[in-house]
Amino acid sequence: MTRKALLISPEACIGCRGCQIACKEWNQLPATKTINKGTVENPPDLNANLYNKIRYVELPSEANMVRWLFVSQRCMHCEDAGCMKICPAPGALYKTKEGAVAFNKDKCIGCKLCAAGCPFNVPRFDEKDKISKCHLCSDRITEGLSPACAKTCPTGAIQYGDRDGIISDSKKPGYEKLYGQADLGGLGVLYAFKDAPKLYGLDEKPAIPESIVFWHNVLKPLAYIGLGGAVAASLLHYVAFGPKKDEEVKKDE
Amino acid sequence: MSNMVRKASVFEILNHWSLAVSFFILTVSGFGFLYHIEGVGSIFGGFNQMKTIHNWAGVVFSVSLFFTLFSYIVEALSISGDDIAWIFKGGGYFSKKTVVPPQGKLNTGQKLYYLTVLIAGIAITATGLVIWLRPEMADIRKWILLSHLVHNISFVFMVIAIPLHIYLATLANPGTVRIMFYGTVPVEWARKRHPKWVQKIGA
Ligand code: SF4
Ligand code: SF4
Ligand code: SF4
Repeated sequence: MTRKALLISPEACIGCRGCQIACKEWNQLPATKTINKGTVENPPDLNANLYNKIRYVELPSEANMVRWLFVSQRCMHCEDAGCMKICPAPGALYKTKEGAVAFNKDKCIGCKLCAAGCPFNVPRFDEKDKISKCHLCSDRITEGLSPACAKTCPTGAIQYGDRDGIISDSKKPGYEKLYGQADLGGLGVLYAFKDAPKLYGLDEKPAIPESIVFWHNVLKPLAYIGLGGAVAASLLHYVAFGPKKDEEVKKDE
Repeated sequence: MSNMVRKASVFEILNHWSLAVSFFILTVSGFGFLYHIEGVGSIFGGFNQMKTIHNWAGVVFSVSLFFTLFSYIVEALSISGDDIAWIFKGGGYFSKKTVVPPQGKLNTGQKLYYLTVLIAGIAITATGLVIWLRPEMADIRKWILLSHLVHNISFVFMVIAIPLHIYLATLANPGTVRIMFYGTVPVEWARKRHPKWVQKIGA
């Protein structure tokens, strides 16, 4: 199965938030009580019942009163996913054949380590401490449908398709390089940015925390080798030098 | 028996068993989490329940570790020239001819072992609590990452130190493991291995 991806084009987005609503409807997520903080960005952050939200960025502009950037914020479905790397519960997070990082709340043990492993601050937790996040509508895409957000978007700001196809189709003047094309083994959500990623609220070079990489590559094998080595060294010593039998122990006279 | 001396009190014996059993549970479940071992998960009734058992076994381990302070810390920190010499002689473990310097209630190796387990144990407990309880604070993600790292480093120290400890207390030194059950050892046995201690208690 070829890897699927979303292409997000903030320049095409009109900030209607249809994608937020479609996501909630499909995933049967209740509304979140929120307050007006003087911005249309609402709710202010992702939460257990909000898998996908539009970030509103206001920038000074010469042509208009302001320049508004609308950025869909959600799980990036990383190829090399920090959340999966650190998760101690098998099956809690898993890759679908389309390349989506989906979750199984029954297998999740609620340790919240994935929140520390994710470079994009995505995982949120429900009232039972179980993981909640965008799963690329894994139940829809497995049937060949597109995710609810992409299906609903009236302007094509969210497009869904084969990852390779999306990348080659997106090569337009001004958008030569997609955000997420190579980072973390390639993201499953690609962004056609006109300006530097940090303007849109994303890291230039997203990475899994170094301590997790070190733990995964060094400490994990070391625990195994250390235990085996200690047992092996003990047996080896027993064979080579033997026990300190009582009659052999000499007193320091 | 009149020719026996008591090396461990009943409380110390029970406390040591509590450490041993909780450590065993923690290590087995720890490897289950580390390597996603489904078989280990099912022994514990699933990974959800394994997490609960791991956390509470950690509480038992740390409380028992705290009580060991009263038994060993003073002795473990009393380092003398004999201890340095003991290290240079490899504790007498690498030649039958070596005569090691006289030892107190704990020999140098036992002191170093105790200090290793104490330090690693404090680190693994503190970091385990941070991961478990996730205190509300700014930068919690950084603290979780640091705790996760230190928890695993301490684990490596533990899984190396404890098998060596088990070997040294059983196969390598016949007559030692009875302390774990009875707390007593023959005076002659003690005189050979812990002469300074036997002298001190005047047995
Ligand atoms: S909270 Fe759940 S999904 Fe996240 S790391 Fe823990 S077990 Fe895995
Ligand atoms: S964005 Fe975060 S939660 Fe999503 S796959 Fe990547 S690491 Fe996991
Ligand atoms: S549905 Fe499309 S246009 Fe509307 S907010 Fe979402 S991405 Fe933007």
